[in-house]
Amino acid sequence: MFENLALNSLTVRYGRHVLLNNLCGSFSRGQINLVVGRAGSGKSTLLRVLAGFHKEYDGSIEADGVTFVPSGNISLAFQNPEALFFNGTVEDEVGYALKMRRMGRDEIEPIARSWLQKWGLDPEKCWHSHPLELSGGEKRRLALAACTIFMPPVVLFDEPLAGLDAKGQRALAELLAGMSSEHIVIVVTHEPEILLEQRGTLLYLHSEGCRWFKPAEFLRNSLIDRNFFPLPEWYHSAVGQFAQSSDLPPIKADEVFRYVKKRERMHADKL
Amino acid sequence: MIVFDQVSFWYNDRSETSFKLKEVSFSLEKGCVNGIIGGNGSGKSTVARLMVGLMPVNSGTVNVLGKDPYQQLSHSGFLAGIIFQNPENQIVGATVEEDLAFGLENLGLSHAEMHCRIIETAARFGLSNMLREPVANLSGGQKQLLCIASVLVMEPAWVIFDEPTSHLDPWSRLEFWKIIDEFVHHHDLGVVVVSQLAEDLNRFEKILGFSGGSLVFQGSRHEFRQAGDELHQHFNYPESWKFEQLLASQNV
Amino acid sequence: MQISYKPGSGALYRLHPMVKGAIAFSAIVFFSVNTLGFSMMTAIIAFMLLCCWFSGVELSDIFMSVRRILLLLIIVGLIQGFAADGFNVAAAGAAMMRILGVFLVAGVYVTVSSQSELTFFWESCFRPLGLIGLPARELALVMVIAVRFFPVILSEIDRIRMAQIARGARLDGGGILASAAALMPLMIPTLTQAIIRAGELSLAMEARGYRVTAQRSRYQRFRFGIIDIFAVLIPVLLFALLLKPFFAGTF
Repeated sequence: MFENLALNSLTVRYGRHVLLNNLCGSFSRGQINLVVGRAGSGKSTLLRVLAGFHKEYDGSIEADGVTFVPSGNISLAFQNPEALFFNGTVEDEVGYALKMRRMGRDEIEPIARSWLQKWGLDPEKCWHSHPLELSGGEKRRLALAACTIFMPPVVLFDEPLAGLDAKGQRALAELLAGMSSEHIVIVVTHEPEILLEQRGTLLYLHSEGCRWFKPAEFLRNSLIDRNFFPLPEWYHSAVGQFAQSSDLPPIKADEVFRYVKKRERMHADKL
Repeated sequence: MIVFDQVSFWYNDRSETSFKLKEVSFSLEKGCVNGIIGGNGSGKSTVARLMVGLMPVNSGTVNVLGKDPYQQLSHSGFLAGIIFQNPENQIVGATVEEDLAFGLENLGLSHAEMHCRIIETAARFGLSNMLREPVANLSGGQKQLLCIASVLVMEPAWVIFDEPTSHLDPWSRLEFWKIIDEFVHHHDLGVVVVSQLAEDLNRFEKILGFSGGSLVFQGSRHEFRQAGDELHQHFNYPESWKFEQLLASQNV
Repeated sequence: MQISYKPGSGALYRLHPMVKGAIAFSAIVFFSVNTLGFSMMTAIIAFMLLCCWFSGVELSDIFMSVRRILLLLIIVGLIQGFAADGFNVAAAGAAMMRILGVFLVAGVYVTVSSQSELTFFWESCFRPLGLIGLPARELALVMVIAVRFFPVILSEIDRIRMAQIARGARLDGGGILASAAALMPLMIPTLTQAIIRAGELSLAMEARGYRVTAQRSRYQRFRFGIIDIFAVLIPVLLFALLLKPFFAGTF
């Protein structure tokens, strides 16, 4: 288990092109680490570098002060993680990563069952089903379970919320937050709204430079500059006037409501 | 105008569970953004596919401008085109020009007519200087534009968008809605958008709500908001409406 | 860097796709089987590059790619060079020039031909098959789609490979059978995704009015120009040169 994953002046090249320039900062455990940026801002490049598949870079990546070795320490869950299924049963699919680590069948089974349960799947019901027979949400959960069963210290998610409905997204966001106590969770996404409700930091990738934000700072920047990140219009009109204050609520109706009331009360008290 | 009259659709044998669509009737007009909402398996995609004649109905009738879209290639004009979610999987040509030409070749148009339409459409979508460009060199946003252009070059009376926004980033989403707005209000084009995203509800002027293969709501956005919790439980409810409700309840 | 079509307007670009194809085909055959010496070959290649230069063909990517086959060139040169009586530099050079020639011709051809021109050429080549009942146009469309989806599927394979390796898959097992089994985590997901793609694509094509049985019109049009009439002489000349030894005795 790692506490943090630090990027030290990371500059990534592809041939003559510089894809990421002098990136410094760190991802840590116990929070959700978001990576946000427009298409072509280098999100997938960063992912490939962290996973150890792109080696053309200067600077270093260190886990707890020691050079990070991706092999066996990192898991990748891509958009449509269901695309990874290739086993005939849920049992084999979820246990595959352990099988490849030379564990015996009877050793794997209890771990796999408890792991499915942890991801909200009932092992009794689906143990022998074909992975592709499950419903959309179940497939997503199974895929994520299969990607994390070997307890990698770092887990990378690429657009994990895409294609889920609002309820599914909320449930998944909470699962991710739960995971963050045991893994360094890094989420690449263009829909950070729901994930901003969780504790975390945000790395904003941009061709002119990259910056790290706390959620409230990110919201403030987006409120001031609509091109920075387009937030929903109602959020702008509700809290736009408080953009300069120290805290900002996440993009959720009841929290924004409570926040606005509190601000109004404070304003009234002052008068 | 699109008219569905007592339309049912099912796959294979007719059992109670194989219904995709159960006796659905509605009509949609040009001049506003028509939205179709519903969860997975609600029948909303089936409706979209029936509108463009990808499959025949099992019972009832579908009419677009008074004609059956399933026979649309035998009519003189192209009735309705559809744009699917993933741009990557609907571009047929290897170059921009070829993809624009694909649908026109299917319509059997003359070379001169095709050339004219391609030049005009490419200019409208800012694709003029990349006609010869291999599709693989285009960015995600440009691919999405090409998909829309390739359907519009066929000059359909209606365009149906099947979940167009769910895979776009927020910047491209704003661009997308600008284009839709232009279609509806400045060109004489009928637009239907199928969506699962709660925030898209704010863009719809007329709404059809589907659940379990039945039409459970049709009316304006305003009517939809007033319809009550019993209806809203079928759908994703926008945060903005929740917020406005909270404000309103406090003012009472 | 990959060799791919770079739009341009030089003479080579303006050739009719059939002529371009014929030149490329004849030149590749010529370079592979000719028996000319090193100096003659170097001269021909130099002349070819000069033509490219005058047509404004961007050659830098092709030259960059030559580095990749450098090792192959050297090995072939060494093997060909060792004759019974020691090392023959001229033979080694000629062999290397041959391979280089084939490579350059193919590279230039791909650089100056757009996708539509390539398709047109294939389709024309398939057309004789129409006589025995094979649908030439459909075959050409299949080729276009294959070309179109090649990079898409490649990048998908890449993503799947990364994720499966992270899960612990070892995709490089020893032996043919073992490696076939080891490739399962890559092959099955790739195939499933390709089938899903194919389904979506066919639906999209149908929605845009494609019917296998219907009569389709044609957008691409290529005209023979004056320049083509002269260019046709190139393949004729090359084949004549090749066939010369066989007829040498008859005249």
